[in-house]
Amino acid sequence: MRIYRRPNHFLQNVQVVAVGSSYLVQSAAYKMQASRARLFKEYKEVQREKSADPDIQLVCDDSNIFKWTALIKGPSETPYEAGVFQLAFSVPEQYPLQPPQVRFLTKIFHPNVHFKTGEICLDILKNAWSPAWTLQSVCRAIIALMAHPEPDSPLNCDSGNLLRSGDIRGFQSMARMYTNLAAMPKKG
Amino acid sequence: MQNKEELPVNATVEVVTSGKASDVDDWEAIKDNDIMQQQSAILAEEAEKIQYVGDKEPVSSLAAEYQSGSAILLEKIKVLNEQYAALRRTRGDGNCFFRSFMFSYLEHILETQDKVEVDRVKASVEKCRKTLLDLGYTEFTFEDFFGLFIEQLESVLQGNEASISQEELVERCRDQSISDYVVMFFRFVTSGEIKRRSEFFEPFIMGLSNATVEQFCKSSVEPMGEESDHVHITALSDALGVPIRVVYLDRSSCDTGGTSVNHHDFVPTSEGTAGGASEAIKPYITLLYRPGHYDILYCNNVFIVQNKGASFTVLNSLSSS
Repeated sequence: MRIYRRPNHFLQNVQVVAVGSSYLVQSAAYKMQASRARLFKEYKEVQREKSADPDIQLVCDDSNIFKWTALIKGPSETPYEAGVFQLAFSVPEQYPLQPPQVRFLTKIFHPNVHFKTGEICLDILKNAWSPAWTLQSVCRAIIALMAHPEPDSPLNCDSGNLLRSGDIRGFQSMARMYTNLAAMPKKG
Repeated sequence: MQNKEELPVNATVEVVTSGKASDVDDWEAIKDNDIMQQQSAILAEEAEKIQYVGDKEPVSSLAAEYQSGSAILLEKIKVLNEQYAALRRTRGDGNCFFRSFMFSYLEHILETQDKVEVDRVKASVEKCRKTLLDLGYTEFTFEDFFGLFIEQLESVLQGNEASISQEELVERCRDQSISDYVVMFFRFVTSGEIKRRSEFFEPFIMGLSNATVEQFCKSSVEPMGEESDHVHITALSDALGVPIRVVYLDRSSCDTGGTSVNHHDFVPTSEGTAGGASEAIKPYITLLYRPGHYDILYCNNVFIVQNKGASFTVLNSLSSS
């Protein structure tokens, strides 16, 4: 496996977690360890299941296990179809008790994504987060959100208003245009 | 009068104009995350006024909060003060039921050194693990939380290297990195039990929140900080096979005359409990419920001795005499 070729960053600290008796001494350090250990498990799972979810390609930063990026495929039969969207994950030290911060790096026209910042309005990334979610399942939830926008709590009001006023065609053509402009994988 | 009228008008105008200059840009820049951070900072500031798990204090100390309040409550506090030896408050951060249960249960094991109970609860925990796997949960998402609970359980049993004292138990339950993990363990167990017996829980959940069992677990059980209700308590008590008494300090008065304090015993359904006989199980975990919050109550030692082996009716008549 690829991970064994990179022995000198986040992997080396993982074993410490199992000891467990002296963590009161360094509680903050323990929190870091717990989140690292968890992320390491997710990392292994992602490596193992690479082919299981062809729509999601989740990659951990080479030098920092708290930074991840993902490439997700726009769901079919939506204006995002055929687009590839990049997400940036920033994982807090308190993970998995606290949710990762996720935003779109690729421009997207969607009621629940901030048009400028790429911030995502999704309950599981806010108050409905639980450690039962993983970075991988968050990606799946974001793909589901792309297919099922919630125009009643819009971050992108223009997009939300089109849907709320019933102008499905207007919404789809705008979303399609931005997919074509920003999310089409470059050939070659 | 005129002055008074003028002032606010001017003030509003000023606010509006200054708002035009800066607010619009600012509002654009404010992200959900900033709002969330501010909100959690406010909550944290409020919550930090009390530890996750407080110190023992006399039950009568509750009275201070109700001096200007209802006489019924003050009467009930007097009754509670006679019946219970002490109170231990927990932080009102939405996790108070689970936190109270955690401390109360671990302290009970620490005091009784009941190895039979530890083995029994470990078997229940194993069942919960299997339940979650059967429900399709990924093991690595919950195993750390399970592991940490088992670790605490073993460390309150004396006689091994990792054994801890009562003081250390208090310290651990106040340490977020342990306390929150154990709370989360209970949330997983509760959610698993509710989903496993979704047919049983469905009508209660519909009554509470008009949500499906799945939605309820996702939004009201698994996320940290979501408050607990009857459904959570029933599920946790059943899943772990641990009876829980909840004493209600509310303004309901009693028709029988004289002040008595209601309580409800959550007695686990037969599956998990040893023996299976449901008669006179005396919960050793007693929580005080005030609308929106749970704290820990300590029984009078005398009271326990008096009631050992006594039937339920005797117990009731004692508590209302």
